[in-house]
Amino acid sequence: MDVNFINPILAAFTEILPQIGFQKTEKKGISLVGSSFDYDGVLVNLAVVGAIKGVILIGMDLDSAKRFASKMMMGMEVAEFDDLAQSAVSEMGNMVCANACTQFSKVGIEGLDISPPTIMISQGGKATLPVPQTIVINFAVDDIDIKVYIGLIS
Amino acid sequence: MGIKVMVVDDSPFSRMMIGEALAESGYEIVGEADSLHTLVETYNNCKPDVVTMDIAMPGADGFECSRELRRNDPKAKIILVSSMKDEESEAEAKRIGVSGYVQKPVDGENLIQVIKNVMSPDSLFEQLLERGLETFKEALAQNVIRMAKTPVTFVSVENGDAPYISQGITTVIGIIGQSTGSMIMDLSAETAEKITEAMLRRPSKNREEVLAMVAELANIIAGIACSMLNKKDKAFALRVSPPSLFHGNTAEIISPSVKIQRSLAETDFGSIFLGVGFKKGSKLWM
Repeated sequence: MDVNFINPILAAFTEILPQIGFQKTEKKGISLVGSSFDYDGVLVNLAVVGAIKGVILIGMDLDSAKRFASKMMMGMEVAEFDDLAQSAVSEMGNMVCANACTQFSKVGIEGLDISPPTIMISQGGKATLPVPQTIVINFAVDDIDIKVYIGLIS
Repeated sequence: MGIKVMVVDDSPFSRMMIGEALAESGYEIVGEADSLHTLVETYNNCKPDVVTMDIAMPGADGFECSRELRRNDPKAKIILVSSMKDEESEAEAKRIGVSGYVQKPVDGENLIQVIKNVMSPDSLFEQLLERGLETFKEALAQNVIRMAKTPVTFVSVENGDAPYISQGITTVIGIIGQSTGSMIMDLSAETAEKITEAMLRRPSKNREEVLAMVAELANIIAGIACSMLNKKDKAFALRVSPPSLFHGNTAEIISPSVKIQRSLAETDFGSIFLGVGFKKGSKLWM
């Protein structure tokens, strides 16, 4: 694992989330898993290409995803994780990852590019990333639990 | 009717210079903003075709303002106007979805050329939409025939907006370049096992072996398809990310910002879903 991958992602979260309507971004823990992990709910997949490559995924359970989208949409009620809610959450993924690339450039890893987001929704889903180890960061964003999976290699 | 432009710059002098240069050529300045504070309201009121955006502003800079505008209207066409013009600023602008970049001091003709380019249909992107899926289908057919020795025929699939439901194993590959996009390949675990067996000429030992085959196959298809497209026009400059695999229980697959064109390849071992979509990229850097 390359710990240098952690700080730019943390910085991106703390910089972007206040801009999209969240007050408190709290890092709850960092752990390491292999290339595969289980997920329940929503996973936003964004690929990264450049001097480092791989994927960044943002995961939350369905209820959290609805609450998250609702907050992004100024408190609008989100009963179903519908097109609008999907678009909001994927846009957050896009903004955080674009900003993470900017944070990487500050530590000398320049010119990274990201793909458009793809969302997976499943109960009892499994993901296998193209890296031997995945860094998992747990965040509480205004008490909504979010997991960020970093599967990057240089 | 002239093209409607909104000018965002903290300097009244710069706003005047840009405004006059554009007005002389028949462009209509419909709104001005000097900070994030009035940005979105002005934009929504004046509904411009194009926004010119300064980068260095006190408080929120042009990147943050651009993000805010694109969040308010994902179709907002923004041209950054700045004295800063380095590789990283350009990379960040592209990631945000900015359409163009003009260096200060602003040359009127130059700015007008960039606006014209931003407003015109993107021929490279149109080509990708036209050829993209066909090229990926060709790459899939070639490689499945070669590696698994099975005939491949394609059946058309309705390109609706409904989410796609995975058959079992999904690979997602990100595509980066002049336009960015995604390739989604999906097949059932049984089909994947049969293809693996055909390729290895023995049954697979475990699930990992099957997953590794699927990832490798998707990687080869995406890589070859992008090379084929780059050969047709090197300006596409497409590159692919390593594959993410999703398996386990049934999953819905959604691509909110890209319209995925769908196709289904029928083989002796079962069907393989192929989805390819691209998003219009940033255009002109002058």
